[in-house]
Amino acid sequence: MTPQPIYLEEKLKEVQESGRLAYRSKSMPTWCPGCGYFSIVDGLPGALNDLGIAPKDAVVVSGIGCSSRFPFFVNTYGFHTLHGRVLPVATGIKTANDALTVIAVGGDGDGFAIGGGHVPHAARRNVDLTYLLFDNGIYGLTKGQTSPTSSVGFKTPTSPYENPDQPLNPLLMVLTYGATWVGQAYAGRPQQLETMIKQAIAHRGFSYLHILSPCVTFDKTDRTYVRLGDLVRDLPANHDKGDLGAALHLAMDTATPALGVFYETQRPTLADALDGLVEKAGGSVGQKRRTA
Amino acid sequence: MKTDIQIAICGSAGEGTIAAGDILRNALAGAGYRVISFDAYPAEIRGFGKCVARLRVTTEQAYSLKEKSDVLVCLNDEHGIPHVGEVRDFGAVIYEAKSIVHLAEGSHVSGHIRPAQVPYPLAIRELSERATGAIRSRNMVVLGYIAGLFHLAKEPFEKIINTKFKGKGKAAEDNHKAFDAGYETGAATFKLDDVNFGPPGKGLQAVMLNGNAAVAKGCLDAGIDNFFGYPITPATTIMERLAVEMPKRGKRLLQTEDEIAAISTTIGAGYTGARSATATSGPGLALMSEMLGLGIMAEVPSVVFVSQRGGPSTGIPTKTEQSDLNIAIYGGHGDAPRIVLAPTNVEGCYRCAGKAFEMAERYQTPVIVLLDLYLSNRYETVVMPAKPPFEPNCDKPVPKGDLGAGYKRFGFTEDDVSPRALPGMAGGMHVVTGLEHNELGRVNEQPEMHEAMSRKRHDKLKAALQHPDFTHYKRFGDEGRVDVGILAWGSTVGECLEVMFLAHLEGIACAVMKVVMLSPFPTEAVAAFMDDCDAVLVPELNYQGQFAHLIQAETGRPVHRYNRVTGTPMRVEDIMAQVRRLAKTATRKAA
Amino acid sequence: MKTAAPRHHVIVGSGVAGAQAARTLRAREPEARISMLTLASLPFYNRYDLPQVFRGRQDWHQFLVDPPEYYTENRIELRRCTQVANVDSQRKVITLGHNEEMHYDTLVVASGGRSYLPEELSEFRHLLDGFGSYEQAMVVRRKVPEGGTVMLLGGDMIGLDLARTLLDTGHKVVLVTDEHTFWPHQVTDDEKKELLTVLERMGVEIIAGDCEGGIDAIQEGAKGLPARRVIFGGGRDRYADVIMPFYGLHPSVEFMLGSGVDIERGLLVKKSLRTTNDAIWAAGDVCQIWSDEEKRYRFYYGWKNVRAMGELAARNITGEDEAFEPTQDESLHIHDGVTIHSPFWEYA
Repeated sequence: MTPQPIYLEEKLKEVQESGRLAYRSKSMPTWCPGCGYFSIVDGLPGALNDLGIAPKDAVVVSGIGCSSRFPFFVNTYGFHTLHGRVLPVATGIKTANDALTVIAVGGDGDGFAIGGGHVPHAARRNVDLTYLLFDNGIYGLTKGQTSPTSSVGFKTPTSPYENPDQPLNPLLMVLTYGATWVGQAYAGRPQQLETMIKQAIAHRGFSYLHILSPCVTFDKTDRTYVRLGDLVRDLPANHDKGDLGAALHLAMDTATPALGVFYETQRPTLADALDGLVEKAGGSVGQKRRTA
Repeated sequence: MKTDIQIAICGSAGEGTIAAGDILRNALAGAGYRVISFDAYPAEIRGFGKCVARLRVTTEQAYSLKEKSDVLVCLNDEHGIPHVGEVRDFGAVIYEAKSIVHLAEGSHVSGHIRPAQVPYPLAIRELSERATGAIRSRNMVVLGYIAGLFHLAKEPFEKIINTKFKGKGKAAEDNHKAFDAGYETGAATFKLDDVNFGPPGKGLQAVMLNGNAAVAKGCLDAGIDNFFGYPITPATTIMERLAVEMPKRGKRLLQTEDEIAAISTTIGAGYTGARSATATSGPGLALMSEMLGLGIMAEVPSVVFVSQRGGPSTGIPTKTEQSDLNIAIYGGHGDAPRIVLAPTNVEGCYRCAGKAFEMAERYQTPVIVLLDLYLSNRYETVVMPAKPPFEPNCDKPVPKGDLGAGYKRFGFTEDDVSPRALPGMAGGMHVVTGLEHNELGRVNEQPEMHEAMSRKRHDKLKAALQHPDFTHYKRFGDEGRVDVGILAWGSTVGECLEVMFLAHLEGIACAVMKVVMLSPFPTEAVAAFMDDCDAVLVPELNYQGQFAHLIQAETGRPVHRYNRVTGTPMRVEDIMAQVRRLAKTATRKAA
Repeated sequence: MKTAAPRHHVIVGSGVAGAQAARTLRAREPEARISMLTLASLPFYNRYDLPQVFRGRQDWHQFLVDPPEYYTENRIELRRCTQVANVDSQRKVITLGHNEEMHYDTLVVASGGRSYLPEELSEFRHLLDGFGSYEQAMVVRRKVPEGGTVMLLGGDMIGLDLARTLLDTGHKVVLVTDEHTFWPHQVTDDEKKELLTVLERMGVEIIAGDCEGGIDAIQEGAKGLPARRVIFGGGRDRYADVIMPFYGLHPSVEFMLGSGVDIERGLLVKKSLRTTNDAIWAAGDVCQIWSDEEKRYRFYYGWKNVRAMGELAARNITGEDEAFEPTQDESLHIHDGVTIHSPFWEYA
């Protein structure tokens, strides 16, 4: 198929009519030009719009970091919390009000360094929320230090000779923690990214979307658009996303990161479990809580 | 006849010592007496450490335990012997009459009873075995013996045993049999002590609660929606009680992975408009400090119950202390004002717990309710109000309908509290953040904005000093000028009141002011009280004199400190010695 | 200068003899450790005072000879409610009833005697009331109503002393006589007859139990009548509020059976009050002292004798070598044909 020309006016009209602009905030992102995160802030409104989730019913929760400025750039309820605490705050919100769609966002440092202790628990409890992890392998907001997903040998102001530490493998970790939906996307493939965000939100339970992104300002050598673009590949067509073993195998291949849904399963969510306790105690589930 | 009797039961953890104390205090409360009770137990998980259950039974209101007990029960010799000395002259010492192991000289209770005390050897083991075929029910034998010896009605005991062992089949039956065996023996024993129970007060319909249970009840009566917690002594029983009760009401409780998660989830839930709380002790509060700062900055309601224990660090986890006043009021970075309430008795725990939710909502802030191990575990008879005295909703709501784009979550208002839109409300979308922000909640680091918002966050709390239907502080005792005024907070207030009564008997003009709201501080009222006092004494269970610091900082006036860090509650006699000393100085000055 | 550890003197019994022994030992050997073991739940009080419970003296504090502080101040370690189970004279170790062991250097057995109850009455034990302790005295006091009837069985001098008080306080006294009446006085039949006449004149109702085949049964009283009923041989009966056996005392020596010292009815002691074991002494109602005149071991009763024994044992333990001389006249007199005089009723 030969590529069709896209005319700006037509595209604008299409975007305006789609309804997705209602999800965009008046505040413009403060990220550096060319940052991979732009495609995420573009993808989430599309996903919410497509799923018919009204802005008033969505809460975007973040920690601290470049990516965590995210709530300011979307027109939903937002809670910009503390470094590393996005998941427990999001858990509290979802526990208090099942009707809300809760999206937790944060970077690799936020989620797997300072906040690393919370990930297993959100996953094992199967809190019905979506965790979008923006992984650029660097601390951008503090101007380019090593993160827990930085490659060995990576040079930054805090590892001027080289980073000696093995990077974490978040996908492998989250799969073993018991997450019920695990996928990987790439900021350089925005349409696929948007689709996957949509799937992640639609999943009932804890969904973890690992989003690979370059840091165009502080990483000129490792995870550039060029290099990442060369490395990433689609999941094998025959991958069975119900097969945890296969998912683990794929996750172990960090040299050529696969994009797509690694794993998906269904089990009771935290809310289901808590409602179960209410039933066991003889209470009535769904008693109106003091929320909007 | 007025009744004022203190009973101590000591034994090991495995002997049902605490259970015996529990049944006894509930039975006596059920009989219509007032009871105040505090158990001491070891840190060992399930070992054979020493437990002491103490209860003071009165017809008049009592405020603390007494120095001397009237009755001591020793379930075993090793743990009983060190406590024989605490029994007053002509009081009763009840002990196991026959050991099954050879005892070295001096290792039986009988060798330690003073000539003025009355010994009651009791074949506890044998009676249990004869009644039930096992020695397990020794504690029930002892309870029966006490009831028989002191001519207490059996029914309240039987009722409590029924409740406690409901559905446990043979255990209930055995316990009744053992109780009866002890009762018969007690009733047949010639009473030589002068410990006499008078009739209980008329119509006292009280329930027996400890501080933590009262907190849990306050939470439930205030309509708590969510509780998140991480186990830590001595706060855990709050969560344990709520874990039973909340699901019955369709409410949710979650044990989190740590204290940081506990406060984070609490604030997350608070953000949605739910009434949510967590409970911890000093180490947990230290971990929570950063998130509490976010709660203050983002103006999100939350309630944190803190039961203090010996510190710093892991400290003395099973002993009481009042050394977290500083972290409760000042803990965390930045200018972080919050409301801190410190109940002074069990009923106060109930009231403060419920009121904390009102205040958190009304002033959009974290509220810390500060207990300590002594108060958390101290049982008192509490007369519950007919209906919960708490407002179910104190939120300052946004106007109904679509708020449009101009909704100012942090708008400046007359009382500095901004109307709050909750997630799910149409048009109220906004972002709350730990960054300094403008009225819309957008990041703003302008100097004027930081000053204006800092003022807003501090000034909005001033109204809490007039929060309705709440005792922020209270003066007791002599009016007008006094020789010695005692300024007290938390669990120590009870001992201070007992000291005041003693001082009056000795002709010392004395008054006590308890301060329940520690932040914001009722400076004017405290200063006015100090004006009336020739000397001001501040007794507290910490080394530094944290409350004394606070008073001095707020009022700029000197106080006399009395500090103790022994891990045990204040001793009336010790405070009294200070009062006598100060009263003498005051008299000299006057002369 | 003494270098050895202070001696531990253990006194079994806290009656007149034991108390006097403790007092004397403390005075003569200030550094010694003194322990006093007693079954009683109260510190030393005079048993002779117990009839006073009928005269309004009921608080046990008023019966104490020494205040509780006396024991603390004089370092007398008083162990009440404490039974002695066994004495091992080889190891010089006492085993107490609750299974505690205690070492002694010298042992003074002053355990006295307890009421003797004839075998044939033992099945009625639960219907009888004793008068051997403050508690028993108070129980009797509570059971006997104003003007009520007390029946004394046997009628030793302790019982007759109580009878005197009861008559004085407006109660009725019934005495069922037998060979123990007037114990420990030895009286001839003629003397006994005369004494009983005096008692009758004093107001005591006498039933000659021993002449009519004794007591057949004791029962709970019928409704509306006093609490106890005694049926005598031949079917005669009598109601009373309490029935009290007063058949004299029986030395409390069971715990000494394994100790190796010589025992007949009481502990056999030389005139110095030392038993056949050098470290064990005895004093008071529990010991039989060798009498040169009578050529036999005999008991000496009366509080003065008993007190003298306590003192003597203590003196001899602490270096003296003195012999016991009875200080009390043991005979019984009738004065003016209406009053009985007994040394047993004369005490401080």
